[in-house]
Amino acid sequence: MQDVTTPGGHWLVLALMVPVAGLLLAVLFGGRHAERIALAALPLGAIAALAIVMQMLSSGAALVYCLGNWAPPLGIVLRADGLSVAMMVTTVVVLTAIALFARIDFATPRGAREARAPFVFWVMLLGVWAALLVVFLAGDFFTLYVALELVAFAAVPLVSLDGRAETLQAALRYLLYALAGSVLYLVGTVLIYGGYGTLDIALLADRLRAEPVAIVAVALMTAGLLAKTALFPLHLWLPPAHAGAPAAASALLSGLVIKGSFFLVIRLWLDAFGSVMTPAAAQLLAALGAGAIVVGSVVALQQARLKLMVAYSTVAQIGYLFLMFPLVLGAASAGAAAAALAGGLLQAISHATAKAAMFMAAGLVYAALGHDRVADLRGAARALPLTIAAFALSGIALIGLPPAGGFLAKWLLLSSALESAQWWWVVVIALGGLLTAAYVFLVLSKALTTTAEPVVITPVPRSSEVIVLALAIVSALLGVAALAPLDLVLIGRDEVMSGAR
Amino acid sequence: MTTSNALLVGTLALPLVLLAACLWSAARDRMLPWLVVAPLPALLAALGVDRGTTVTLIAAGSYEGVLALDAPGALLLGVAALLWSAAGAYAATYQRDLPNRGRFAASWLLCLTGCLGVFVAADMALLYLTLASMTLGASALVFQDESAGARRAAGIYLGLALAGETLVLVAMILLAQATPEGSLLIRDAALVLPSAAHRDLIVVLLIVGFGLKAGLVPLHVWMPLAHAAAPMPASAVLSGVVVKAGVIGLIRFLPVDAGLADWGNLLAIVGMFTALYAVAIGITQPHPKVVLAYSSVSQMGFTAAVIGMGIANLEAATPVLAAFYATHHILVKGAMFLLVGIVAATAGTRLRGTLLLAAVLAVGLGGLPLTGGAVAKLAVKGPLGSGWAATVAYASAVGTTLLMLHFLRRVAANSAAEPSARAAAGLRWPWLVMAVAAIVVPWAIYLGLSLGTVAEAIAPKALWASLWPVGVGAALAWWLARAGDRLPRIPPGDVAVGIDRGVAAGARAGVALLRADGVLRQWSVAGVSLLTLAALFVLAIMAGH
Amino acid sequence: MNSATWYGLLGATLAGIGLYGLIVHPHVLRKILSFNLLGSGVFLIAGVVARRGADAGLPGDPVLQGLVITGIIVAFSATALAVALLLRLAETANTASLSPGALEGRAGDAPLPADGSDPGVARRREGS
Repeated sequence: MQDVTTPGGHWLVLALMVPVAGLLLAVLFGGRHAERIALAALPLGAIAALAIVMQMLSSGAALVYCLGNWAPPLGIVLRADGLSVAMMVTTVVVLTAIALFARIDFATPRGAREARAPFVFWVMLLGVWAALLVVFLAGDFFTLYVALELVAFAAVPLVSLDGRAETLQAALRYLLYALAGSVLYLVGTVLIYGGYGTLDIALLADRLRAEPVAIVAVALMTAGLLAKTALFPLHLWLPPAHAGAPAAASALLSGLVIKGSFFLVIRLWLDAFGSVMTPAAAQLLAALGAGAIVVGSVVALQQARLKLMVAYSTVAQIGYLFLMFPLVLGAASAGAAAAALAGGLLQAISHATAKAAMFMAAGLVYAALGHDRVADLRGAARALPLTIAAFALSGIALIGLPPAGGFLAKWLLLSSALESAQWWWVVVIALGGLLTAAYVFLVLSKALTTTAEPVVITPVPRSSEVIVLALAIVSALLGVAALAPLDLVLIGRDEVMSGAR
Repeated sequence: MTTSNALLVGTLALPLVLLAACLWSAARDRMLPWLVVAPLPALLAALGVDRGTTVTLIAAGSYEGVLALDAPGALLLGVAALLWSAAGAYAATYQRDLPNRGRFAASWLLCLTGCLGVFVAADMALLYLTLASMTLGASALVFQDESAGARRAAGIYLGLALAGETLVLVAMILLAQATPEGSLLIRDAALVLPSAAHRDLIVVLLIVGFGLKAGLVPLHVWMPLAHAAAPMPASAVLSGVVVKAGVIGLIRFLPVDAGLADWGNLLAIVGMFTALYAVAIGITQPHPKVVLAYSSVSQMGFTAAVIGMGIANLEAATPVLAAFYATHHILVKGAMFLLVGIVAATAGTRLRGTLLLAAVLAVGLGGLPLTGGAVAKLAVKGPLGSGWAATVAYASAVGTTLLMLHFLRRVAANSAAEPSARAAAGLRWPWLVMAVAAIVVPWAIYLGLSLGTVAEAIAPKALWASLWPVGVGAALAWWLARAGDRLPRIPPGDVAVGIDRGVAAGARAGVALLRADGVLRQWSVAGVSLLTLAALFVLAIMAGH
Repeated sequence: MNSATWYGLLGATLAGIGLYGLIVHPHVLRKILSFNLLGSGVFLIAGVVARRGADAGLPGDPVLQGLVITGIIVAFSATALAVALLLRLAETANTASLSPGALEGRAGDAPLPADGSDPGVARRREGS
């Protein structure tokens, strides 16, 4: 069936244009205008995302836009299904919070026309946003390759914004490892094209068979994407990169950049290669996830610095994301598969909001106390009540207590695991929650300890604390908001899901 | 909105409003005097709401959050609200000068909301939410004085409670898959349990999960530690009410049904073992609060045994009778904890009347004739049946008397040194209210709900049956007072030393994992891992075809 | 064997050498060069695939030629970014290695505060 541009498909292009135009204008005008352009682009992007949501809810089908009006396999399409839209909305929400938070840290100083770090930050923020949108909307594997590279190139400078040697090393390590991953991904796409003559995901879903060329291609592409997502044991670059970046940049990197390559793994495994994937492969992927949860949490518990602890917490939470694959692929019914998919997506969204809030809170603690040693956090709660409250709320979301989105995600994943009799993932999910509670308790018990005299702090702007707390509240209440639109996830996926069986 | 609905909603609404007010530090610091008011809608709801009222709190998508009040829930809710109120009044005086009183009040309100919510939640998701809130609030209360012991106790409590709640969550999900249309109502879940596909697994998960909350051996380790660390009013509600969440869980989820008879017997065995074991450990403890903690463990074991035997004997009235027994415990245990603070602030010479009243209540827990305890023990004779459980129940009554007399001796040794010391009025009148309630309320419930008649209660046979265990217990207590020093010293939390060893082993494993992580993060190792992973995936996919 | 197969083997060899260099060599410039070798090997393989899949009458599948051109541009930008970061690292710390040990005892840079505080914060405080 040929793809045609659906009514409302032009919204996809408009949504993409906003950050790209912003990026170009920011580079053109430079200086302090970059910040203003970024802040102006965010509401426009939000409007476009909402328009796409409403269009999808009213039509009940995926939105498609054929570039140049050429249908695949000749042309390429932009395709928005329920998953894309959910991630788009999450991206805009988290980016808004990060942008408002970063206005203070990355303001161009008075009297200077342009300063390096603020300019780079705002331009890269727009760059990451644009690239992520392409990842969420593109419908063929080569556009996705370009998008992946864009995400990496926009993210790497954010790591070394402060110019220290450690962060430069971390940025280089990230870049080189990500490049190794993308080369593997590229080889995979070349093999797919050679074997099947197209790179469009919807067409491939019908054509792919379990032949050596497809198997090698998907294995290479998966390995490459896992390197970019920093799934255990390929996580070497993440802790120094995310811990060394400034707070707003860490929030961006941990919350959103990681989700780009993860989203690609979903597209790869569930949409294109659904009929090729075997239970053994899915179990292997989730086993890596389980390893990430255990090793990441245990190492996080032993970190002396708060930002490194939060970075290792990201390593652990990434493992959670990959637990959904054996549950979706091994589900007994389409309803169970949908529940597992919704659980995985909700886990990604919940982590994006909660981890961004947690990194920004850690950044505020850093700025106020002048250090982030966990052992010396005594008295922080009295000095920074809103910040520590934000940390606690995002911790609750990560542990998976109601009414956070993490709880609903845990419920959905546990239901699918129990329904498909994969008991061992139940144990992993339960264990992960307890380990997360351990390091959150460690930090909070230190911060809540009162000291004899009040701790000396550099005052942080009230507005920053409020923004972080607002994002943390959103992540803690996400479960309530997510109860209704679970069907949104399934829009546009019926053909794909049934084609995969 | 009818009065019943309004009262049910108000049960949670008022504490939540006060909790929200705690966001402002000015309100937080002045919140202590308001703690006494917070549970009042719950008290009215327990008295006034018609059985069978349901209120839908949230409706989003296919989920409905429902509140309801059944008979056992109403009993526990009312008495719990009374204890929360009295303890709140006590706390207003006890914690008045604390610099952290704002945080204390916020934790108190969080725990209160969760606790009352557990009794009125009618669907499983809301139940989990209220259990989680209660756990968070309670661990913050245990952590209150921030000593090393408090940190350890709070950490152990939080860890075990979350583990227990996870087990309950898995059981709830399994039940939700078995109910018609995936209904999340507890009522539907209990109906479908005896015939569910994974019945045995679900029952084990529920018993272990709720047993952790209630303090069944060997999951009781957090109780003595938490009680020793928490401030006095917090210990009162912890022992009095927070553990009852486990009891109400067992009552609501395990129906009296022939399919569960074997499990009922098992629950009874575990419960009775807990009851006796806790007495054995409790008499070696010098600290009065720890003795009370072990007494709570023992009584919760007994209550669990009542539930278990009731299921095994197919006694239909088990839920109400077990709840009735638990309400008496709430009242007495709450009063006893408040007593500890009063004795510590009062000179020994002024204590005679207080200690006499306390003795009546304490021994009433063992079943002193004509007290509320005797009535409670009489009421549960039905579920316990006439087999081994009834015999062990007598032993438990002996043990409880022994333990409570030991407690009285230890608490009397703790009185204030200064001869004119007198506890503040704000401490004394909550204690008096609880003490009077502990005697009057059980009789009121016994007669009001027609659980029996006055004639039955004062029959000579019944009086003798409650008197002789008390007598034996008193004799043993006298012997203990003479020979007490020869008992071994057991640290509070007995089996918790196992936890400490486990934590040490975990720390060693943690260091090993840290080193492994360091190795994996070397560039060459990571590069080879990347290629190896690609090869593994090729093999994994080929293996399936 | 026809020329396409030879080119394929050559591409695979180049990719292998590149991978080896990327994993084994500690000097960052060598890693960047190895990455370029690896990229060249992959593009050669793409060319081979284009040749084998070409329709009669066309020397090679134009889609894959487009892929290769895009790939070259991406590799070029990646190399430029990596070299820029490497130059900055060499300027700042006089090293071209990714291992944290290479940063100890270097001259010319303000020492990292021993208490773990964030120099970026200090710099911002001074600059504003």
